[in-house]
This record gives sequence, C-alpha cells and structure tokens, in this order.
Amino acid sequence: MKYNISIPEGTRDRLYAECRERRQVQGALTALFRRRGYAEVSTPEVEFYDMFLQSGSPLPQESMLKVIDRSGKIMVMRPDSTTPIARVAATRLKSVPLPQRLYYDQSVFRSGLAHAGGSSEVAQCGVEMIGAMGAKADLEMVALAVDALAACGLENFHIELGHAGFFREVAAGMAMPPQELERLRTLVEGKNYAALNDLLQDYQDRPACAALRRLPYLFGGVETLAEARRLAGESPALDYLEGLYRALDGAGYGRYVRFDLGLVHQIDYYTGVIFRGYAEGAGAPVLSGGRYDSLVERFGRKAEATGFAVDVDGVGACLTVTVPKLETVVHYDTRCLAQALAAVDARPAGTCELSPCRTLESTLNLAREKGVSSVLVLEESGERWIEV
Amino acid sequence: MSSRLRIALTKGRLQDKSVELFERAGLDCSPIRNPGRRLIHALPNYPLDAVLAKGPDVITYVEHGVCDLGVVGKDTILEKGGSFYEVLDLGFGKCRFALAVPRGSDFYGTYKTRRIASKYPAVTRAFFEKKGMDVEIIKIEGSVELAPLVGLADGIVDVVETGATLKANDLIPIEDVATISARLIVNTASMKLYKEQIFDFIQKCEGLL
Repeated sequence: MKYNISIPEGTRDRLYAECRERRQVQGALTALFRRRGYAEVSTPEVEFYDMFLQSGSPLPQESMLKVIDRSGKIMVMRPDSTTPIARVAATRLKSVPLPQRLYYDQSVFRSGLAHAGGSSEVAQCGVEMIGAMGAKADLEMVALAVDALAACGLENFHIELGHAGFFREVAAGMAMPPQELERLRTLVEGKNYAALNDLLQDYQDRPACAALRRLPYLFGGVETLAEARRLAGESPALDYLEGLYRALDGAGYGRYVRFDLGLVHQIDYYTGVIFRGYAEGAGAPVLSGGRYDSLVERFGRKAEATGFAVDVDGVGACLTVTVPKLETVVHYDTRCLAQALAAVDARPAGTCELSPCRTLESTLNLAREKGVSSVLVLEESGERWIEV
Repeated sequence: MSSRLRIALTKGRLQDKSVELFERAGLDCSPIRNPGRRLIHALPNYPLDAVLAKGPDVITYVEHGVCDLGVVGKDTILEKGGSFYEVLDLGFGKCRFALAVPRGSDFYGTYKTRRIASKYPAVTRAFFEKKGMDVEIIKIEGSVELAPLVGLADGIVDVVETGATLKANDLIPIEDVATISARLIVNTASMKLYKEQIFDFIQKCEGLL
C-alpha cells in the first residue's frame, strides 16, 4: 500500500454532490435549530478518554479512535457530542439559568470494523435541551425531530418513540437475576423471538411474562399502546407516551409518530423517552436520541436533559441533489475585470466562470474541453457571444 | 407501499432448504431453481426478490439494508455478529459447535496454554473466555481437523453435523459450544418501514415450522 497517496480505511474524500448534500442538510437543520432558539456550541475534536469513560457512555472502548499526547495521556477523537456538551453544561455553563437549548454541527469519529463499509467520520447535527424535564420538554423535542427531517426535504419518514421505563416496569415483575435480565434485554432488542420464548419458558407463572413475550412485536402505530396496555395493565410509561401522542396528534404531528416499546437499547443511559427516526431509502436510523437525566450530574451539576442527533450523510443519501452545470465561460480583457466579475455574479452559482487564458483561442479550447456551449467575450470595444 | 422485499439466501444446503420451505408456503421459487445467468431472482407470485450469497455476506447485505431479509446459519451469526433482528429459528440446517480433541489426550489436565484451531475465532474466544481460560487461537480456513493431527493445535472448535469426519480422524468431541440452525434475520430499518409485508412473510414461514 502506498501510504503517501492513499487514505485510511473508513475515511473518504467528498466531492461535488457529496459535499452539496451534506451542506444542504446541515444548512436546513441549523437554520431550524436557530429558529427554535437553540444556540450553537462546538467542542474539541480530541478529548481525554477518561471523560468518556466517566460519563458511562454506552460506546465500547474499541470503537473510539485513540491518540496518545506528548505526555502519554490517552485521548480520543470525539466519539459523540452529547457527552462533551454535558461536560460544558456542568462546567462552563454552571451559572447560566436553565434550561439551555444548544445545538451542534460537528463530526464524530468511530473506529469501525475493517472492510465493513462503514465510515469512521460521521457528520452529525443535533440538539440538547439541558435542564428541562417533563412532557413539555419532550413534546418540544419530538416535534423538533419531525420538523428536522421534514426540513431536510425527506417525505417518507417517521419518528419512533419508546420509553426506557416501560421495560423496567415489566421486567420488575419478573424477579429475574441480573444476568438473566440482561440476556432478556438483548433478546428483546434483537427481536429474537425464538430465543426469547425459550428463555421465558422458566418464568411462565409470572404475570409479566405475556407482556415480555409480546414486547418485540409491540411496534407500529398508536394502536401499539392499546395492545401494550392490555398486556401490561397499569403503566406510568404508557400513560406518559399516550399523553405525548395526544398532544403531538393535536398539533398535526400524529402521522409522523410511531412507537416501539421494544426499543431497549442503552437502557442504562436513557432514562425516559427514547426516539429513532427512520426514512425510506436508509438502511439504518437517520436520527436517534432520547432523555438522559443522569448524564450531566456525572460532571457535577444536577440537570435533566434530552436531545437527538441527525446522521447528516444518512439523510443526504436519501435526497436527490443536483450539481449545477457550467454553461458560460467569460473571456475578458484585464481592463474589463469589473464587468467580467459582474457577469459571473449575475448568474446562478456554478453556471459561469472566468477563463484564465490569455488568448481567445485557448479559452475556446478550454470551453470545448469542459463541454461549455457559450463563451462571453468582454473587450473594451464591447461584449459578444461565441457559440462553441 | 408497493415495493418488493429482497431476501438474501445462504448458498448451498441452506438455500435448498429455504426454497423447500418457501414452496411449502406457496411461493413459486422456480426462478431460484432455474437461475440461468440472472443474479436477482424475482418470485412471480409473491413480492419478493431473492439473491444468493455466502453466509457472512448475507449478514453484510442485511446490515447495510440492501436486502431486507436474510437466511443465515447461527454459526455465522455467532462468529460475525452485527446489528439486525433475528426473528425466526427456521429449524433446518441443525448442527452444533463442538470442542474436539485427539482421542486419548487430556485437554484440561495441564497448566500449559492450550492452542485451538478454528474457522470461528470469535466463537472460540467467547467460549473459553466464559470458562476463564486463556487459549491461543489459530484461524484455519480449510480442514480444521488437520491441525491437531499434524501437531499445530491441541484441539479444534468446529461445526459438527454427523461427527463422521471427526471419527475418521480420531478426534473426540468433548464439549458442546452451541447448537446451531438456520435463522431468518431482518434489517432494523426495513422492519419498521415495511412491517406489514415483513410480518406477512414471517407468518407464512412460521406457520410451517
């Protein structure tokens, strides 16, 4: 391998349309976030490994890209943005009144498996609302998630809601040893119906068993909540989700909202509502987030929080972005520079450029090479058009 | 949604068994049986397109969402891992992972670090990690049984179907690592986007198991 001209596995050069789609998504998202009162923050690309370790981050250590600094300390390339923002909220923003609405537009870095087709740099745009709890904060966040994907130009998408508390409520009725419980959670997360049934064989007599058995099937429209209620009975988590849905539906968001009560990923990290965004054309969620009320406190300040991140390139890949086509080349006399620049500025971006050539003949050749049909000639005697 | 689902089948024995199952469910699988030069086989009487791939590639296709569904052996899932829904134990392709050692050898009766040859290093590592044993794992691509015979390894971890190959080479399976069968897996986003279609297919298969 020639290290002097190739790039590392998992990285890529982005050209033309790939950059445009990224900018288009970032532009749409950040404009919306600002409009809703979120202020931008940006955190270092490299931070101490200990910070992420202390945060109880659900990311495994092998997925963090590490750097050793001059004094031998272990640093990581920012593996997620929520943790550093929680650190900022608990330290630099210690004395500002809460809630704080923050947004970020920065990449995170993950060390993926070799040759798995994943990218180690993931562009994310996201928001965090620090210091607000309760239904109103969650409503604002879910509505923002819907509006965010719509603002990007996606049409067929939905936001799926789950609740970390629901699994805890149901599992509490099982009186299972912790190891068994973790296995149960993994099987629900993987919708591994067969193995889940086997595991539950020994717990047939527990009342929560029926609900757990159905848990991986409990996803879909709002009717999911009714089915869950039949199985699980009284449940504060279900009441909460129902309340959220009623308010969202009343505001016209109902058709974008679905539920997955089997959403039990990273359940030690999330403390309440969890959400994911799915878009037609993307093989993985394009948005993910939820409520994490205990993270900021790990950095020394008690503050509930909720937020989400959008996978910018995941969304971009679902959009059709067109790159403008070069139509006009301007050949100008240096004494006509002002007019030449005015001609470029007057046309749509990317459709017109100046020719750096000295002779008209070279400019015509350049135009032919670039597939441009017309050349605008600007001389002191006046302007004329040449069709190539 | 008028789109068709796409399924990746593991080539070989699992493919034949999958086709048998789908045909019993009433799906016309003639395009898979007579593939010609085509690589994507559209079933005429059900909105499903099939592609054939090696086991680990089935997982890759499903994880990336270019295939919504896949049929793959549990052995491949255990070795490769990944993020997808494992919704059905299809019941065929049954076999087991076992630890086998040369006849007459005392595998556990020594303090020396044992050396294991396997096509499945991740499964092997997880198995011995659970026992709290440090072992040296050597990845072998072909006939793993050869490794202990020529003195490269003290034992092997491999898929055992009938045990005939082990027997012929004087190897004794001393411990089961896991039982294995074919699984139906689903891409996580497809499951959410095409729930009705996917459940229709799952139920068609499930009813016959």
